[in-house]
Amino acid sequence: MTQPEEIHSLAGAYVLHALEEAERETFVQHLRGCVACAAEVAELNETAARLAEDTWSVPPPAMREQVLAAVRRTRQLPPPRPVREPRRAPVRWWRHPAALTAAACLLVAALVGGVYGVQEQRLREERAATLAAQQELARTQAVLTAPDATVRTADVAGGGKVTVVAAPSRDAAVVLLATHSPGAQKAYQLWLMDGGTPRSAGVLAAGQGSATHLVDGVGAADALGVTVEPEGGSASPTLPIIAQIPMK
Amino acid sequence: MNGDEQPYQRPEHLTAVPGAPAPADAESLLRAVARGDEAAFTRLYDLVAPRVYGLARRVLRDPAQAEEVAQEALLEVWRTASRFDSARGSATAWIFTITHRRAVDRVRSEQAALDRVQRLAPEATQTPADEVVEQATAHLQRQAVRRCLRTLTELQREAITLAYYGGYTYQQVAQLLGAGLPTVKTRMRDGLIRLRDCLGVEVAA
Repeated sequence: MTQPEEIHSLAGAYVLHALEEAERETFVQHLRGCVACAAEVAELNETAARLAEDTWSVPPPAMREQVLAAVRRTRQLPPPRPVREPRRAPVRWWRHPAALTAAACLLVAALVGGVYGVQEQRLREERAATLAAQQELARTQAVLTAPDATVRTADVAGGGKVTVVAAPSRDAAVVLLATHSPGAQKAYQLWLMDGGTPRSAGVLAAGQGSATHLVDGVGAADALGVTVEPEGGSASPTLPIIAQIPMK
Repeated sequence: MNGDEQPYQRPEHLTAVPGAPAPADAESLLRAVARGDEAAFTRLYDLVAPRVYGLARRVLRDPAQAEEVAQEALLEVWRTASRFDSARGSATAWIFTITHRRAVDRVRSEQAALDRVQRLAPEATQTPADEVVEQATAHLQRQAVRRCLRTLTELQREAITLAYYGGYTYQQVAQLLGAGLPTVKTRMRDGLIRLRDCLGVEVAA
């Protein structure tokens, strides 16, 4: 039998499915008797699965009907028998001896180097930014996959394209802009037009020429327009409108 | 062809509350699937199929093989839904783990090597709408994972991405990186721990 610490270090390779069969079995054995490992493996597995978020690809259209047809003729497994093993206590990382040692080391390093706080701060910022990005992503996906989503594309004056995926059921649209940079200190601004005064639907970052932008409250807008504005955007559109996409 | 020709679809509701069914989360859908709810499976399919297929394709590269693996994985989700245990992780992680396992098994099987040579990769034709969706999602999707991947050391990142996206064993990864076995397995683990903290991953045990 391998040393516990040694085998435990396989947790990363295990959740990445990077172990050869024999080693995998040894690790699974180890996992059965190690509550702390099970908790760590659960979290690392969850983390590894997040890497799948970066792999979005539209499946072949026929696949859907094939899978649904297969489902209609496939019997499901019954629920598992309740396991008679000791109830898995939620073991948090700080209760784990190895993690505790690592944490202690970090603390020492922090006292010595004084950089720990800075890194923690950066991590918190990363996390907040990630969370916001994930929320926007979820809403964007809801628009893109809405059953009533329609796609329209228009040329941008001077080159490039703008595409709008509108989903009335979500009262939102996703705008994809793929064009050249508007120039330094200038920004593209999106406008919703419904006969009256155009409403701003968002300003891109200065100099940014390609972006995916979620627009809420599309409502009864007839069209979406794009203009070039000073950095930060304007209250009303500066003519000319360099691209206009009908929404109806 | 382009989207201009698509007829405008009259919205049934223009209120702030969308008329469509509330976007269900994968976990409640999966629970319904475990009870044999085919409609719930259909919705779950729409929610996860692009990532299931995308993951299979990332690992296998061959679209036809990716489609087969994605189909097998999704059918396994249906068949074994009652085995999902939320105490061990999220529903999506459970589904992607099944997918990844199957994709990696395919990579490692000898047959796959033959298949890859023999197939002429009949790429499914995509509509422009698909491309738009792909483009938009890809753009945003990558942000979160990529931002956090950037916080890793070079070796941590390479070890993890070669294993996960490349479908390599850690021994193969060590060879590719010219690093020792203990180093690689350690980097995989501490890299994932760092990624976990950056993404704020938690498992409600």
